[in-house]
Amino acid sequence: MTKNKVVNKMMKLLAKENLEKYQIIINNSKKTEMVVERGEISLLRTTSDTNLRITAINENKKASVNINKVDDSSLEEATKNVLELLETSEVDDAYDISPFQEARQFESGSKEPNKEDMYKLITRFIGAVKLEYPKLNISESALTFNYTEVNLVNSNGVDYLQTKGIYSFYVVFTAKDGDNISSMNFVAFSMNDLEKDLLDTATLRRLIKENIEQLETKPITEKFAGDVLITPDYLAELIATFAGIGLSDGALIAGTSVLKDSIGKEIASPKLTIRSNPRSKHICDGYSITSDGFEAKNLTIVENGVLKNHLLGLYGAKKTAKKRAENSGDAYVVDPGGVSYKDMVKKVKKGILLSRFSGGNPSPNGDFSGIAKNSYYIEDGKVQYPISETMIAGNIYDMLKNIKEISKEQVNFGNALMPWLLTTGVTISGK
Amino acid sequence: MIQLSKFSKHFTNYTELRVQENQSMNITFLNGNLVGNEKKYTSGVSSRVFLNGSWGFASNPEMNDVNIIDTIKFANENAEFLSGRQSKNNKIYEGAAFSHSHNLGTKKNRISQKELMDFVKGIDAYIVKKFADVTSRTVGLNFLGMEKTLLTSVGSNRYSLWPRTMIFVKLGVEENGEPINAYEIFGGRGHFEDLFTNPSDLFEDIDKLYEHLKNKSKGVYASAGEKEVILDADLAGILAHEAIGHTTEADIVLGGSIAANYVNKEVSSHLITLTDYAHSYKGNLCPTPIFVDDEGTKAEDVVIIKDGVLKEFMHNKETAATFKTIAKGNARAYQYFDEPLVRMRNTAIEPGKSKLRDMIASIEDGYYFMKTGNGQADSTSEFMFAVTIGYEIKNGKLARGIRDTTIAGLAFDVLKSVTMVSDDMVWGSWGMCGKKQMIPVGMGGPAIKCRINVGGK
Repeated sequence: MTKNKVVNKMMKLLAKENLEKYQIIINNSKKTEMVVERGEISLLRTTSDTNLRITAINENKKASVNINKVDDSSLEEATKNVLELLETSEVDDAYDISPFQEARQFESGSKEPNKEDMYKLITRFIGAVKLEYPKLNISESALTFNYTEVNLVNSNGVDYLQTKGIYSFYVVFTAKDGDNISSMNFVAFSMNDLEKDLLDTATLRRLIKENIEQLETKPITEKFAGDVLITPDYLAELIATFAGIGLSDGALIAGTSVLKDSIGKEIASPKLTIRSNPRSKHICDGYSITSDGFEAKNLTIVENGVLKNHLLGLYGAKKTAKKRAENSGDAYVVDPGGVSYKDMVKKVKKGILLSRFSGGNPSPNGDFSGIAKNSYYIEDGKVQYPISETMIAGNIYDMLKNIKEISKEQVNFGNALMPWLLTTGVTISGK
Repeated sequence: MIQLSKFSKHFTNYTELRVQENQSMNITFLNGNLVGNEKKYTSGVSSRVFLNGSWGFASNPEMNDVNIIDTIKFANENAEFLSGRQSKNNKIYEGAAFSHSHNLGTKKNRISQKELMDFVKGIDAYIVKKFADVTSRTVGLNFLGMEKTLLTSVGSNRYSLWPRTMIFVKLGVEENGEPINAYEIFGGRGHFEDLFTNPSDLFEDIDKLYEHLKNKSKGVYASAGEKEVILDADLAGILAHEAIGHTTEADIVLGGSIAANYVNKEVSSHLITLTDYAHSYKGNLCPTPIFVDDEGTKAEDVVIIKDGVLKEFMHNKETAATFKTIAKGNARAYQYFDEPLVRMRNTAIEPGKSKLRDMIASIEDGYYFMKTGNGQADSTSEFMFAVTIGYEIKNGKLARGIRDTTIAGLAFDVLKSVTMVSDDMVWGSWGMCGKKQMIPVGMGGPAIKCRINVGGK
């Protein structure tokens, strides 16, 4: 039985109510954050919080309550609340909790932050930016250490403990030169330690250099269907969007996913393999247990263009009579190709290098449109100039089918591992 | 309500002490399946301290006396950690002490969980019965309540309770095997009891949503390029918030926003006046009324653009001191463990004198954009909004519906192109703005006629 006293108390309270099934997740978290505003460390913030989530199932009805107080009276009140919600819930045979699995503990990262090293690292970053890129404004940034201790137990005897300590960093920046300013850009990544300079992690230095170039932009003055060379930064977002509209519980239960009957079918270029690898040694910001009570495993979603798995949780799988995914998604990895980024640029006759996309949520059929931000015009195999006021429109599924090349280089963001990807058939229109 | 005054003796520097509880509830039916049925309660205490130009912040979910005193102590230690390592000359605008209490909770008897569930089921049943060709549907009820008690070392006191309840309806049909969606949100500030009586009160609006969805499914893709358009209130509101509002938040201005160069300059058509209202518009409470902010500053309206000229930015105590001006109550925090940031409250373009029908009649070839999905903006004022419901305008009349599209432009350029502003005013009460933390916001406006870039095939 779990060592967490609060969870034990809660289990006893729920057992007294003769409920058929229940699951308890307690997440105790401690965060230390150094916030940078306008190029200076402005705030040191330390927080602690608890989230206790109680899910109960009785007579095929289900309800959940979340609280952040764990004294006896709060636990009793939460029990009362979940029973009230259960009473008015709906009958659904698909409600369930995970079956018995051997108790396990998972540990990653350290328990406490090194505040001095955090201060030094971020001070060094601010100093380097001022010295090397004086036209750059750090609008907003934070270096955070987050320690979480998650205990998941259920009435089938599941008992998982996951402890994780992880550093993460994000920065939002714009360049300024006289009255000229560039379009803002940002980078976020996670790391196990503070060994590497922030400026040399993920794509940060490249995006800063580009942002200064983007002080002078030109709109594209025509409309054409062309190539799009997607950077690792935007590819991470694109894959998450693809998963949301095509593979998630919501899209599959609603029946709006065009991929609902596509397992085993070719849905993308054979060059494309997408994985969700929360347990990979290359993904420091992964996870070991799913919120519905299973040990998470690495999962191949698309292999050589063929759809292998949806991302259905326990409920979604039962509801749609399809296979439950062995994890909860995220931690996406796109396998590298065999061509260098430089050679990919050479293959572009006419198109854009898409670094960031500001657009509406895509339609369920994959249609999207929006602005190409922090991006470049490419013609005759050469990056020509930074662009502004350029809109793009296309279809996510068509983009994945039309892949021409994937780069051999990958960028590790800590929570995703992404290459560059060249596709075509996207409408690009300027003013 | 916790009495915080006894802790003021522990304030050794400029200090804010806040106790807060957020409550939320969600009931969601997806195709008749109950996929969301839960409540969440998050509460705790936080303290923020300013010392020699640096801030320290600490929070704790447990709110006994010992923990509250420790939280103040840890916030001081955090401020000392930074101020001991860096020399800064930042000042803050202290302002005058101000005390205010407002409780926007219902005075009616609370209805039961069963009645709430039955209300949502009633809407779902209506959709199933009325619209045979709807292939997907989501009907949900979302509640968010924020209760805050604040004491500052300046002497400001605040108690506030703000509830918001929304009913969400999303319908989908298939056209040639392709799924097409549209959605509508009902409700706003207040508990359920003050906003809803019977599911049938919403049926007429759900019928309209279905009609728009059918027109969209039979509709066309917008044609890409710069077009003459009418942005209805929903889009004018998000334009005010995303594209102008964010560029005039003083922290964004200091971070490099283009608006830094525009004070007292003409930035839009003279038809445009744009204000971030603190709590009231023409004597009526706004969607997210703020009387005292989370730094203890008395909240007042901020007139951002007056008759086309950029007038002032939105501030917290620190940016107000940097700009040598006063703060007007824009510092807001979402959860007890969040620090206050410069945030909008209720941002709106003021109505003009034109009639919407005349505005539509004045366009030969363009679009009428009615509903938006999401929006983003840049420090350059370049913005993008999704359009989820819209129509072509041909020869002064509404024509075919359009599929999902995106509109974009440089906000100040778009506002310079405004030639007509309608005489009506519609507030959107469902806004949730993301900027490090989430925060509920109100946004509103009339319909405006302007030129804008349309993304299409």
